[in-house]
Amino acid sequence: MITTINKETILVVAEHFQGDVRPATYELVQAAETIQQIRPGPIQILILGQDVEALANLLAETTGKDVLGISAPQLSHYNGQVFTEALVDLLSGAPPAYVCVAHSSRGSDFAPGLAARLKGTCITAVNAIFACEEGICFSRDLFGGKVTAEMVSSASTTVLTIAPGSYPPSSGSHLKRRGRGGVQHKKISVKEKKSKTLSIKLFQTSDVDLSDALVIVSAGRGIGDAQNLERIYALAALIPQSVVCGSRPVIDLGWMPYDRQVGVTGATVSPALYLACGISGAAQHISGMKGSGFIVAINSDPTAAIFNQSDICIVEDLDVFIPALIDAITTRR
Amino acid sequence: MNILVCVKQVPEPETEAHIDPSGQWVKMGGGSNLRMNRFDECAVEAAVQIKERHAGTTVHIISVGPASSDAIIRRAIGMGADQGTHIVASADGFVDPSTIAYWMSRCPAAREADLIFCGTMSEDLMQGQVGPLLADRLSLPCASAVVRVDLQLKDEQVQVEREVEGGYREVVALKLPALLTIQTGINQPRYPSLSNLLRANQLSLDTRQADEMEEVSSLQKVLRMMPPRKLRDGRILKGSTTEKAEQLVTILANRSYLS
Repeated sequence: MITTINKETILVVAEHFQGDVRPATYELVQAAETIQQIRPGPIQILILGQDVEALANLLAETTGKDVLGISAPQLSHYNGQVFTEALVDLLSGAPPAYVCVAHSSRGSDFAPGLAARLKGTCITAVNAIFACEEGICFSRDLFGGKVTAEMVSSASTTVLTIAPGSYPPSSGSHLKRRGRGGVQHKKISVKEKKSKTLSIKLFQTSDVDLSDALVIVSAGRGIGDAQNLERIYALAALIPQSVVCGSRPVIDLGWMPYDRQVGVTGATVSPALYLACGISGAAQHISGMKGSGFIVAINSDPTAAIFNQSDICIVEDLDVFIPALIDAITTRR
Repeated sequence: MNILVCVKQVPEPETEAHIDPSGQWVKMGGGSNLRMNRFDECAVEAAVQIKERHAGTTVHIISVGPASSDAIIRRAIGMGADQGTHIVASADGFVDPSTIAYWMSRCPAAREADLIFCGTMSEDLMQGQVGPLLADRLSLPCASAVVRVDLQLKDEQVQVEREVEGGYREVVALKLPALLTIQTGINQPRYPSLSNLLRANQLSLDTRQADEMEEVSSLQKVLRMMPPRKLRDGRILKGSTTEKAEQLVTILANRSYLS
């Protein structure tokens, strides 16, 4: 099958890392299918890298969609400029209607610039797509998750970054039933002009496996002071099989090592119990923990977004409540 | 060496956000405190650190926002920046990030910069677009989510580390002029010094009115604002602190989390 990308196409830019397709890619396929149900158009997956032939074949197999693999020696590492130039070369003749990109470090890096180069527009961190009176609505969170905005695009090319966890990749098996998609490979060469990725390095290795924790006690900026962390550790000590984690602000302040960070830029966790202490509930954190079994949130701000994601909501000052909770647990024993 | 830092004024995260009568924007609750976006604070700090290491460096601050944004420009100068440009724009309603990038690109400070720093995103709108779009307007190479900056002047480049998922970092070299969006955690922003603040308060800023600048067509808009979807039941515990603590212990014990 010969692949053509045209103005009707809903394009998915696959995300892969160290030889594996990232789960986000399957979420993008689902997001593209949601768009397709509202506005019909062929879905096309695009995968770029140094040598992506095997991954392109795998994607055609697992998704049933047509896949275009673009291999270039300059794409051995992700580089925003190289990536954008390759995409612009490929797409500017007949820019697709929609481009679905992961709302990841890399996706967020190139999506706005790609939209500008294709004379389109970009909407980031989209968490739902649905039909509305003006066509297709894209919803995204604002103000730390306290408000949702429904956005519409009037551009002929709309680049979307899809927030992780918005379209869970559970349905890989039902995708497969549709048979194998067509695969096309292209080898290209891209000029590195002003930017070059030299290497990728593992910055911090971890000795905790958060994915195995039964209970996570998590601290946010609302704990106020580094010293108050002691109370969080004391609380966790009373809960079997628990691990203490934090949201990004706490890690940025150096109160906890990076490997304890829950959220988009840290770990994705799904313990049986997630105890959120002083966490506001910004989208970046929520997408890292919303798969938890039972969520308890303690926050002094009654409008904190975390309460929309919680099974139990407690509006209290942590300085007072955590000692009371420790007392109550100790008394019960 | 000219460094431009783009900053934005945002409400404190604890502020209540009400959907306004138009249904298309929000009004922040009474007594809302405004401050500099934390990502931008880190960007200012990164620029001032370069200025301290490289004599002859000038740090210029730019902000698009209502009259109150003046305060954060002066705060950044208080942290050690030299000058500021304020593009005065209404805070009522959504402005396309592409428009904001365009307005900034029209200012001499943007065109003369060897290095532009932005925060990776704003804490209120969380779009993360102005930086990459400004880079596109000015045809500059761009790296986002930067957690380390190493200026290599003799090679006319900046070498950075950008944060990617799973604890990895990408090492990227960019030819100057370049634009970087700065991630939090790169540094601990300093407090403004008294002497710098005094100077900041006396300085006259380059003030421009957004509505006098050329219009650019926007290809996206907010159709409506909604309260966030409640994804879980959200049972609110009531009573005194002790009562709430006891209720929670009962709930956790019944679910066998405490044994």
